[in-house]
Amino acid sequence: MKTIYTILICFLLANATNAQERYLTKNGAVTFFSSAPMEDIKADNNQVLSIVDASSGKMAIAILMKSFMFKKALMQEHFNENYVESDKFPKATFKGDILNFDTIKDSETKVEVKGTMTIHGKSKEIVIPANITRNEDNILVKGEFNLLVADYDIEIPGAVAKNIAKKIKVTFKFNHKPYKK
Amino acid sequence: MKTKKILVAILIIGIIGAFVAYKIYNKPHVNVGDTKSDITLTANKIINDFSSDESIANTNYLDKIIEVSGVISKVKIEKEKGIITLKTNDDFGSVLCHLSDNATQKINLLKEGQTITVKGICTGYLMDVILVKCEITY
Repeated sequence: MKTIYTILICFLLANATNAQERYLTKNGAVTFFSSAPMEDIKADNNQVLSIVDASSGKMAIAILMKSFMFKKALMQEHFNENYVESDKFPKATFKGDILNFDTIKDSETKVEVKGTMTIHGKSKEIVIPANITRNEDNILVKGEFNLLVADYDIEIPGAVAKNIAKKIKVTFKFNHKPYKK
Repeated sequence: MKTKKILVAILIIGIIGAFVAYKIYNKPHVNVGDTKSDITLTANKIINDFSSDESIANTNYLDKIIEVSGVISKVKIEKEKGIITLKTNDDFGSVLCHLSDNATQKINLLKEGQTITVKGICTGYLMDVILVKCEITY
């Protein structure tokens, strides 16, 4: 966990000289949705930290697993204790590059973000499609994609296989503002 | 006669079982307002604990109901939810308190510079220590 924080801080400090180029949000939204024959499960997280370096197009995201809020307390408990084991792996992270960042203008532009996603202690290279709008005052990044539970070594016991989808739909929206301290 | 008794017993056990299962399935979320806090401390103390040793702080604070007192540095509403930032002596970090719907309605009474006590559930540390479902306790 220390390393993740160190990476984030390095990322921040590396750009300290050029404060205008750093955009950040502490209230990014990530929602996931699992649609299975027995039930639909949805969870929201509105405390996601996301940083974009506007000079290089690099992006870093950190997510607290315990910040995912479910409708039912039992679902939340199972998610944290049995599936993502959030005591052992409290954070999920993404670190990568926004491809063709220079082409993004003040209107919604479709691009791809390529990088490493780490969930449940397991890292995987992925490419995520995103819609990005960029101007002086903010960088808005949003989109959705599917995650395979099995890619991150998350085991779903046979007994609840009908309750939890193997493919999870993830939606995200980060409204980055220029970071000033 | 005997088989009838056994059947009735099985039926009763079945009904109780179904009722218990239903209750567990629909178990409510912790009511932060009505629950006694596990830990009471200052915003400075909690951020220092997290920045000096995050894994120890995680075991001590995660999922716990925590009462944090501090000075408000920012009040805002995002997506109809109130968010209060508490000042700390850390350069980067602060304590971010995401208010409950109930507490959000009373957000107009809060001002920057005011000292308050917030009770919420700690979900962890990114740049800031994050508390969710917060109630204002003063």
